[in-house]
Amino acid sequence: MNVSMPATIENPEKKTQPDKDMTAAVVSVDNVCKSFGNMKVLDGVSLSISHGETLAVLGRSGTGKSVLLRLIIGLVNPDSGSISVNGNNFAGLALDQLGEIRKKMGFLFQQSALYDSLSIAENVAFPLEHHRSSMSKAEHDERVKQLLDEVGMNGDSTKMPSEISGGMKKRVGLARALALEPEILLLDEPTAGLDPISSDEIDDLVLKLQRERKMASIIVTHDLHSARKISNRIALLNKGKVVIEGSFDNLQQSEIAFVKEFLRLS
Amino acid sequence: MFPSSLVYSVISVMGPIITGLMVSGRVGAGIGAQLASMKVTEQIDAIEASAINPYRLLAATRILACILMMPLLTLAADASGLLAGWFAQTLVEPLSIHQFITSGFQGATFNAFLPPTFKTMAYGLIIGLVSCFEGMRTVGGAEGVGRAATNSVVLSSLFVILADVVLVKLILVFFT
Ligand SMILES: Nc1ncnc2c1ncn2[C@@H]1O[C@H](COP(=O)(O)OP(=O)(O)OP(=O)(O)O)[C@@H](O)[C@H]1O
Ligand SMILES: [Mg+2]
Repeated sequence: MNVSMPATIENPEKKTQPDKDMTAAVVSVDNVCKSFGNMKVLDGVSLSISHGETLAVLGRSGTGKSVLLRLIIGLVNPDSGSISVNGNNFAGLALDQLGEIRKKMGFLFQQSALYDSLSIAENVAFPLEHHRSSMSKAEHDERVKQLLDEVGMNGDSTKMPSEISGGMKKRVGLARALALEPEILLLDEPTAGLDPISSDEIDDLVLKLQRERKMASIIVTHDLHSARKISNRIALLNKGKVVIEGSFDNLQQSEIAFVKEFLRLS
Repeated sequence: MFPSSLVYSVISVMGPIITGLMVSGRVGAGIGAQLASMKVTEQIDAIEASAINPYRLLAATRILACILMMPLLTLAADASGLLAGWFAQTLVEPLSIHQFITSGFQGATFNAFLPPTFKTMAYGLIIGLVSCFEGMRTVGGAEGVGRAATNSVVLSSLFVILADVVLVKLILVFFT
């Protein structure tokens, strides 16, 4: 089911194709199972993405999309199967080795997870302060301003997380995820709770990053329209398994009942 | 009560243990609840995801602060204990604070007073460790946060009392 050169769907000039000479998997998830108690959440999931490629993960609520992202950044460990990033298998990595890999990843949490004791600007500056200590304070401020500009949040940089709306938190979380210029971007519903215009801006930002920095991204979303716009491939999860993986056209041509139902109602 | 026995009992017995229990209640609950709420709102996961060790960033600093502050707080508790003792004493028979202090500290040795003050660093370690541990392993929303705060207080007070029993014995063995 793995389509290596997915067909372009729309805006062919906007979306980059994965580089042919860089097709080595950046993230590869191999036959991963994960249970909580006796509830099996993921049951043999395999996925991979390469440089400059965007994979959209869709699926019903509670099928383990967020768990999948948390597995990929090593916040939870798989019961079986393996996960590797840039060729490094997570199992048996020491904490500081895992840290080196995580510095190359940007993660947006579903609930944003902003540090509530820090202001918006401090939240975005937080990864810079810890991992770019050679940069001066002025350079940090400049970078924070630029990041907040990209997500359209510059006017609120001195506010606290408790003073902004859910959609604004999402955008700040995205700015924070981008602070260290990651190679891999993991976004958990970046456009949920956003109006159509803001979500379109976020989609454009992701496309721009994909084009300019050859970023590999996995984006969990419920929005089929944005999945279609920004991703090269779509994976549909159901009951802990990947039901189908491929381009939007592949999904449309599928005869699988669940896929048809999902597309019909989206 | 003679000033000297009052001084002795405040500085070597009452001051340290009361400070230990008070800090367990105030600081233990504070650390437990704060870290627990960071845990349930995924802020600790976010720290980890940005390749920062949350134990070093959040726990180590708090534990160190507890260890360093305990002796100082104990000295403050000792001072107010002595002041209250002098006040009670003057109600019975008027005595200047100067007289009270000189007679209270007569024949006092460092061995009698330093170990009990510095043993509170161990209480600080206990309070910091227990409440950081309780906070960072919290699961389950607001209820979990409440449970973490309660557990931090109960367990750190309990361990402070246990440590006191052990440390009093050790100090007797090594410093007298
Ligand atoms: N830490 C945990 N402990 C126990 N169960 C968990 C835990 N995390 C997730 N689960 C369970 O795993 C399942 C998948 O959760 P997950 O958050 O990945 O869903 P999701 O696909 O992201 O849903 P949504 O689209 O609503 O965000 C859920 O049934 C949830 O109850
Ligand atoms: Mg989710």
